[in-house]
Amino acid sequence: MELTIALALNGIVWGLIIALIALGLSIIFGLLDIINIAHGDFFMVGTVLAWFVAETTGNYWLAFLIVPIIGFALGALIEYTVIQPIKNAAALSIVATFGLAIILQESVRATFGATPERMLPPIHDTIPMFGIEYEVYRLFAAAASIAAIGLFFLFLHRSKLGTWMRAVRFDPETATAMGIPARRIYLMTFAIGFAMASLGGVVAAPITTVYFEAGVDILPFCFMAVIIGGLGNLGGTVAAAVLLAFFEGVITSFTDPTFARIGSLCLMSLVLMIRPHGIFAGATR
Amino acid sequence: MLELRDLNAHYGKVHVLRGVTMHVEEGESVALLGRNGVGKTTTLKSVMGLVPPTGGSVNFAGTEISKMAPHRIPGAGLGYVPQGRGIFPGLSVEENLLIGLTKTPPSHITDYVFDRFPRLKERLKQQANTLSGGEQQQLAIARCLVMQPKMIILDEPTEGIMPILVKEIRREIAAVRETGVSILLVEQNIKTALRLCTRVYLMEKGVIVHEASASELENDKETLHRYLGVTV
Ligand SMILES: Nc1ncnc2c1ncn2[C@@H]1O[C@H](COP(=O)(O)OP(=O)(O)OP(=O)(O)O)[C@@H](O)[C@H]1O
Ligand SMILES: [Mg+2]
Repeated sequence: MELTIALALNGIVWGLIIALIALGLSIIFGLLDIINIAHGDFFMVGTVLAWFVAETTGNYWLAFLIVPIIGFALGALIEYTVIQPIKNAAALSIVATFGLAIILQESVRATFGATPERMLPPIHDTIPMFGIEYEVYRLFAAAASIAAIGLFFLFLHRSKLGTWMRAVRFDPETATAMGIPARRIYLMTFAIGFAMASLGGVVAAPITTVYFEAGVDILPFCFMAVIIGGLGNLGGTVAAAVLLAFFEGVITSFTDPTFARIGSLCLMSLVLMIRPHGIFAGATR
Repeated sequence: MLELRDLNAHYGKVHVLRGVTMHVEEGESVALLGRNGVGKTTTLKSVMGLVPPTGGSVNFAGTEISKMAPHRIPGAGLGYVPQGRGIFPGLSVEENLLIGLTKTPPSHITDYVFDRFPRLKERLKQQANTLSGGEQQQLAIARCLVMQPKMIILDEPTEGIMPILVKEIRREIAAVRETGVSILLVEQNIKTALRLCTRVYLMEKGVIVHEASASELENDKETLHRYLGVTV
């Protein structure tokens, strides 16, 4: 029972981190029609950069500030050099971002090395919760993810730039005719997507393994959250990520993690058969 | 105010505009008419830079705009009401209205717009796709007006609007014209076009084939029949 509670809580924490990452994936898909195979690696780059900042400065908290900024800049650079040239051939996006994924992974392997690293959480304390001793850092990770997700929604619905992103998503041509610089909005969206994934990496680094293939593990989970939540339904993505991770956490406490993943895949297939546009289809756009 | 010279445009390899030459003077209202698929919308989109011209020039208020970044063209004073209205469905009425602005508009502008379109004012917080077709058309026009344009280009503003509301839309456009804003209007509804505009261009297969004043054309049954296939 205690294991189940711990893994269920871990699941929720992970779900929130995944939600943050998957939101980036979802806005990139929604605005640019890009299926971003490299998105998991954006997360991985975030974990590695976080590790690097902690190693060099000795202050983990700095990573929360620095890494998303680096992620944003990298995202802008990649959009400009890789995504823009294939803008009118969305089918190429899978090939192009797959190539990008390999470049990112191999660059990290070449510089950081191939050995998985574990880093200590900046908060070591535990507190009693539901009859178990739970790590405070994980609670912080959950809170940080919720805050970031909340800020993102606030930005999307309350700022001019966010409104422009939503307008471009509906109709880039009319948006342009209203004076919206659609080209620049695409660049910003991709950069924000990278920044969110890398922030997810910073939050997750102390509770996961930092290594060059970490993105490969996380990518399918992000896609499942986006699909189950309903393509383009951002609120649905968040809910699906948390539910899925909770579900996998609970199953893992009884059996192998592999079975948990199989369970998730079955759940996704079931959702796609019954509600092809996702569980939360039609709830919001 | 607006001058198109030998404008050409392609969709891929298809040559749609084959040398369109026309002009609209300051304060003038001009209609562009023609059968379905002759290139009216493409002409307007080329002016707005949405379909980049492959030849010729577009001069607006003394500036060559065919080489401008498309999103800068509205800022030069050219408002556009696209065919099908182009309202952003998931955005609120207010967000739609102010989409083209980076700061809040001066109060005399909002007062003017809300005076003209009181129904929009009541529905500011509502999702735009909950508006009726006529209200969406009002929103599309109001969205241009808050940007204080020198000229407005309208693509079939009465298309798909209930007949009783067509009159209302026509009144709105006439009111805009009275404020001295130039108008370029594409219409299927000949009556609307002849009422609102003083001069008319007829288009066929990507070129202008006829130019006349509205009053001349009204009585020229043969031309109307030949190029538009209608009898008024
Ligand atoms: N995006 C596009 N890609 C390829 N061809 C197009 C595209 N849009 C329009 N066309 C073609 O270009 C020609 C001119 O189209 P356009 O929309 O300008 O006509 P229109 O005069 O506005 O017609 P309508 O009265 O039906 O609105 C048509 O033959 C149309 O099929
Ligand atoms: Mg048309």
